[in-house]
Amino acid sequence: MALLVSTRHWRNGGPSDLPGVLFAALALLLVGGLNLPAQPVATKEYKIKAVFLFNFSQFVTWPTNAFPETQTPLVIGVLGEDPFGTYLDETVRGEEVDKHPLVIQHYRRAEEIKTCHILFISQSETSRLDQILPSLKGRSILTVSDAEGFAQQGGMIRFVTEKGRIRLRINPEAAKAASLTISSKLLRPAEIVAPGKD
Amino acid sequence: MRAQPPIRHGGPVEALAQAAGIFAVDAALRSGKGTLSRIRKSGQRFTPQRNSRHAWASTVAFVALGLVMFASDAIAQPQESLPPPGVMKKLSLDELMDIDVTSVSKRSEKLSETASAIQVITQEDMRRSGASSIPEALRLASNLEVAQVDSHQWAISARGFNSTSANKLQVLIDGRTVYTPLFSGVFWDVQDTLLEDVDRIEVISGPGATLWGANAVNGVVNIITKSAKDTQGLLVLGGGGTELRGFGGARYGGTLSSNLHYRVYGKYFDRDSTVLPSGRDATDDWHMGQGGFRLDWDGSEANLLTLQGDIYDGRIAQLGANDDSVVSGGNVIGRWSHTFSEESDFKLQLYYDRTHRNIPGTFSEDLDTYDLDFDHRFPLGERNAIVWGLGYRRMDDDVGNSPVLAFLPRRLSRELFSGFVQDEIALVKDRLHLTVGTKIEHNDYTGFEFQPSGRLAWLITPRQTAWTAVSRAVRTPSRIDNDLFAPANPPFTLVQGGANFVSEELLSYELGYRIQPHRQLSLSLAAYYNDYDNLRSVEQVNPPAPFPVVIANGQEGESYGAELTAEYHVTDWWRLRVGYTELRIHVRPKSGSTDTSKGSGESHDPNHQVGLRSSWDLPWHLECGVGFRYVSQIANQRVPAYQELDARLAWRPTPKLEFSIIGQNLLHDHHPEFGALTSRHEIERGVYGKVTWRF
Repeated sequence: MALLVSTRHWRNGGPSDLPGVLFAALALLLVGGLNLPAQPVATKEYKIKAVFLFNFSQFVTWPTNAFPETQTPLVIGVLGEDPFGTYLDETVRGEEVDKHPLVIQHYRRAEEIKTCHILFISQSETSRLDQILPSLKGRSILTVSDAEGFAQQGGMIRFVTEKGRIRLRINPEAAKAASLTISSKLLRPAEIVAPGKD
Repeated sequence: MRAQPPIRHGGPVEALAQAAGIFAVDAALRSGKGTLSRIRKSGQRFTPQRNSRHAWASTVAFVALGLVMFASDAIAQPQESLPPPGVMKKLSLDELMDIDVTSVSKRSEKLSETASAIQVITQEDMRRSGASSIPEALRLASNLEVAQVDSHQWAISARGFNSTSANKLQVLIDGRTVYTPLFSGVFWDVQDTLLEDVDRIEVISGPGATLWGANAVNGVVNIITKSAKDTQGLLVLGGGGTELRGFGGARYGGTLSSNLHYRVYGKYFDRDSTVLPSGRDATDDWHMGQGGFRLDWDGSEANLLTLQGDIYDGRIAQLGANDDSVVSGGNVIGRWSHTFSEESDFKLQLYYDRTHRNIPGTFSEDLDTYDLDFDHRFPLGERNAIVWGLGYRRMDDDVGNSPVLAFLPRRLSRELFSGFVQDEIALVKDRLHLTVGTKIEHNDYTGFEFQPSGRLAWLITPRQTAWTAVSRAVRTPSRIDNDLFAPANPPFTLVQGGANFVSEELLSYELGYRIQPHRQLSLSLAAYYNDYDNLRSVEQVNPPAPFPVVIANGQEGESYGAELTAEYHVTDWWRLRVGYTELRIHVRPKSGSTDTSKGSGESHDPNHQVGLRSSWDLPWHLECGVGFRYVSQIANQRVPAYQELDARLAWRPTPKLEFSIIGQNLLHDHHPEFGALTSRHEIERGVYGKVTWRF
């Protein structure tokens, strides 16, 4: 209805009334836009979580064999649906830790994970946690998630949102088992949990 | 007949025409009937009392239509306003853990899903633009027409019908309608707050009357300040320059107990005059001080009580007059929000607002507004989300008339009762949403008014939304339509009121499309066709004698156009925003009308507007931004097309300290944006420096 009415008037008004550029833009939107990959813009919550992930790179020490060469990048991986939009990329761009440049990688399945230092496991993977976490056993990967039951199943850091604030639940035992050392600066503001509790 | 003084700034003729937004004089002038001499012969002795148009065209603003608190939740969805990653990274873990994320995800999703043409100006956008006032910040919304008229007056509208007394835009600050029942418009010079405490400004073009009520005919501007909790600590700012000669402000936010947060603020500014087209100083410099507070008590998880208020006082120099205009006022708002669940809550709000404006020798007004609003949101079954509300407002208006023109009766109390109900129906969950609702108002002029709307949103993909809407909205009568007489005493040889004036009506058809084709790019397009009836006209009482006239509803017309915006995050340090609008308005007399103005008294609009903004984060904690705008000519005022450029360079050595230098209207020494040549002021290039320090 609306379209019909508008179109009629545009036509009556003559072609000069609405410049071609507008139609061109419209056409571009309708035709050109649809096939491009789309990614969500991060919510405030995930923007802050992205900044936390960056912070973890500063407060965790990896064993030397996690970086075969001095130039080996420190990889922050996102497994499953990416809730960060461009924000995580923007956060780490140009950053490095002990000369290891920070790099973001995305994985659809746990099998795709090769070199990875911090792994954020998206909520989309909640149902598969019981397969994902065991498959990472013995590798020096800091596992992070906001999925329910994460610490219970052996995850290392869980984001919990309480009263609108983001809290950290850290399982230092699990980190230790993966030869990771978590700085006391990170542990202090966090809630320490043992496996089995979440 | 004595020689006519030049009519620049002139005189009551202008005052009359401009003030009323009626263009009888203008029209008659152009029709070659020599209205000016007729007026002079009519027995009035007009001293060239300069700037008497200020008389009118400005006054204290205020308040009133307030239904709305829910608005910020129900429709207008905020964007996430977080500093860029570069700033966030510097925060400590404790600081990160202290950021409230509740307001979040659902709303930001909804912004892209909303079935209306909405744009959000964030705090970050305002900061980066260097805007020093709310009207300047509104230039950031490409779906608005924003024209600076002189040092303190602005003509702001959406989708046309702009004038210094534009009457089809609804404006709210924290749920308080800043509206004057004098002409159904806004006195922009007294709408202010500490801009650093503004969370966001939501700008909707197109009718919003179902939720916001009468006057939300062509658009809604919803200014929302931060909670006291989010404005803790000390903020001090100050600076000065050529046009914005000097300013300073401070805010302190503290905690009285763990649930009770407060802030207090004060600010002051001093602005230079604009110039006349000749380049001569227009002597309209002004200064104003304002202070206020806000108290938020989240007594429990479910209850939030807010008490806030402002008080201000300003002086505006008048060209050719010894005495300054005085503007002053204040308001206090109390609000109780109760949350039942994520989908259900209610809000109860009460406010009082007082405004005073005195233009010595010309006009004065005291307006007291009392407003009570209630709204309630709840889900009904799986598919329905209901919002309903009730409102009451009383406005006590008391004007001081001059011999030139008068509002009769001088004192008038008006009451407004309103109710609305709206249902958002998930026809297909997360895919197809239909929102239907209506507002029912009862006002003292026209009785009951119904303003229904239907909006359909199709969420094609998570990144793509198409929407369409059909709405009815009315612009209810205001004092200027009914009570304006000139001269002030019988037999009113010029204007004889508008006793039979009824509401102006709009039927609007809208179509919109939003897409985020790429994670760095988002595009939005809205097109509309607006059908207006009973538009204001000026009718000759004894045709063909051009005067006296009565104000009536003898015009009709249509407008159509499109608004295109694109936001492109080229990199994490470079952002681009483009806005482009097209607008056509055709207004014509209805049969039997003697008004031949073709709307030239009601609408002064450019056909095209282009805005381009770019902002860069540079090394060494530098920020740079430029804003370019092109506005095509306003044909019926013969304001030529213009292009202007604003720029800002800032250095933020730490997140707490910022030095910036801002240039405004850099391309010309002075340029006109609005107004007939005879009364036109031009806006000068301005540069100012600013220091902001947060403790």
